[in-house]
Amino acid sequence: MVNKTHILLVDDEASLREPLADYLIKQGYKVQQAADASLARSLLNAYDFDIILLDIMMPGEDGLSLCRFVTDKTDIPVIFISAKTEETERIIGLELGADDYVTKPFSPRELVARIKVILRRAEKGGSSNNGATGGAYQFSGWTLKCDKRSLIDADGVNVSLSTGEYQMLLALVSRAGQVLNRDQLLDITQGREAHAFDRAVDNQISRLRRKIEADPKNPEIIKTVWGGGYMLAGEVKSL
Amino acid sequence: MKRLWPNSLVGQLLLIVALMLLVAQGVNSFLLYRGAQNQNLLEASTSSVARIAFALERQSTYRRGEAGGANGGRRGTRLKYGPETAVTEDMKRLPELEARAGQAFSNMGIGFSDIRAAEVRRLTPDMTGHVIGSNRGKWRDNPINRSMGSRATPLETKGFVIVSARRDDGQWISVASAVRERNPMLVRTLLFQTIITYLLMLIPLVLLGRYISRPLKTLTATARSFQPGKTETLEEQGPPDTRELIRAFNDMSGRVSNMLNEKNVMLGAIGHDLRTPLAALRVRIENVDDDIEREKMVDGIEDMDQMLDDILSLARLGRSSEQSNPVDIRSMIETVVDEFTDLGHQVRYQRGEKQIATVRETLIRRALRNLIGNSVLYGKAADISVEKSGDKLMIIVDDDGPGIPDEKIDAMFEPFLRGEESRNRATGGSGLGLTLARAIARDHGGDIVLTNRPGGGLRATLSLPA
Repeated sequence: MVNKTHILLVDDEASLREPLADYLIKQGYKVQQAADASLARSLLNAYDFDIILLDIMMPGEDGLSLCRFVTDKTDIPVIFISAKTEETERIIGLELGADDYVTKPFSPRELVARIKVILRRAEKGGSSNNGATGGAYQFSGWTLKCDKRSLIDADGVNVSLSTGEYQMLLALVSRAGQVLNRDQLLDITQGREAHAFDRAVDNQISRLRRKIEADPKNPEIIKTVWGGGYMLAGEVKSL
Repeated sequence: MKRLWPNSLVGQLLLIVALMLLVAQGVNSFLLYRGAQNQNLLEASTSSVARIAFALERQSTYRRGEAGGANGGRRGTRLKYGPETAVTEDMKRLPELEARAGQAFSNMGIGFSDIRAAEVRRLTPDMTGHVIGSNRGKWRDNPINRSMGSRATPLETKGFVIVSARRDDGQWISVASAVRERNPMLVRTLLFQTIITYLLMLIPLVLLGRYISRPLKTLTATARSFQPGKTETLEEQGPPDTRELIRAFNDMSGRVSNMLNEKNVMLGAIGHDLRTPLAALRVRIENVDDDIEREKMVDGIEDMDQMLDDILSLARLGRSSEQSNPVDIRSMIETVVDEFTDLGHQVRYQRGEKQIATVRETLIRRALRNLIGNSVLYGKAADISVEKSGDKLMIIVDDDGPGIPDEKIDAMFEPFLRGEESRNRATGGSGLGLTLARAIARDHGGDIVLTNRPGGGLRATLSLPA
């Protein structure tokens, strides 16, 4: 590989930062480490990075502030790595334009998978994130709020979605009227190729239909397109 | 008696004051009544004294003129002359009247060697002819008076006063006079007076009582609904004692909020400081080549993380930053059920009518996840259903496991206690699952109840206010 992916890893805890850097290097990445935000800033000036892994709680300038700086000035995607698990932290992080959020302790393999998804999206250009961070969509009486990852019906009642269902719905809503086949949907939502006989997409779709369609057997919102794909029908208003 | 005793401060205060007023008024009335009676006796005796004095005056006149003689002098006087006094030993003597009569006689220059006065209810036969004012009994027989109607009835005779005086020659002159009720308005006056006193005393008391009790009521309500960090400081009002109390309460609630804040900060720090080394360990584990060994280590770390999460959630409960939202309970149950079916567990739920509850969704999801998790851990399958009863929405989780002995059900909610005696990590969760689930339900104004089903298996009912 001529051009190794270059990762900036920012965390004040050397006990985590160093083994994680080792692991990522083993996985074939080029890694720079920074123990605080000011060091990270000088590294950002010195190198071109493909992605930043950023801890939120750090002495001195915290990760949120650094993230704001990065998303304002550059296109480099950011993944937050944080020990905070409160829902508000996640929302604030995503609102700041971070692409993903993993909580400690995390599986390094999963982290690498997420890095790959984000990088692939970034390569394809356009929105590196699946849909907008913040903002909302309105379709067929429903409102999908991206900041809180919530789906609200015409009466203002929240309808609960799993993470997978949310990703799937967001993929369809943000590409309304477009036919998406299973491979595309998997790629958008999970960043992976479909295996043979993969029922994951169909499963999510049928669960979504159960929650949002008046009659799940005769879907009006998420339509099946003959030839193996799905499409969101009707008008979508982006707020 | 207990039923009549008021609960409130003002009520009790009013009742006590009213009772005390009643007693005071009673004593007052009694004294007034006694005074009035004495007055009546005095008046009756005064006329007796006057009559005796008058008779003696006339006698001496006759004697000087030698015209009338003893008998003539007695005519029409109704006085009784005799060697014995009419006041016998068994009568109730009135020393005060005796003294006053003696005073009156000596003022008129008449000397008696002994004066006796007594009050009787009924006259002895030998005295019936010697009553002053008894002719008033014939009042109505007089045609002139009769024409004036029955309203002119003479005042009622309450008894008699006998005054008896001994002359120097040893003769007793005795005369009785009727005692009359001179003031029939007395009762009415007293009643009127009592009412006025009550109004004058009780109305300001009611106002004062409310002035005292209103801030107390507010304080009680605030203390009852106290939520650390959210309760606003109370306005200091009412009398100084109450103000002092409210100030103390405000200080205390401030201290409680501060303590809880400190606890929260500390827990956050613990959570952060424990998770970071855990994350480091998790990364290093990837270097272990033995797949089975590595998987076991990963499981261990995930268990620890889960336990940490449970503890922090339990500690943070009630101060969750998540907003309450109306949630379609059906889709929430489906989301949780799908998590279990994806892992190969048998969890059944049939979507029914739309049911809405206002909850913090991630928390309720977690409570439900813990309940279903228990069901599939101890039984093979779980059945979820929803019932609405009154203003309560119940999510029911039935399993086909062995159930729990009734006497152990309460203990199931205690932290770190599992149905199984062993603390084997392979079969149990953190031991906080039910504790946390119930704490979440109660934080929402609901509850979780465990019951053994008649057909076998355990039923967990999560109730929420709908």
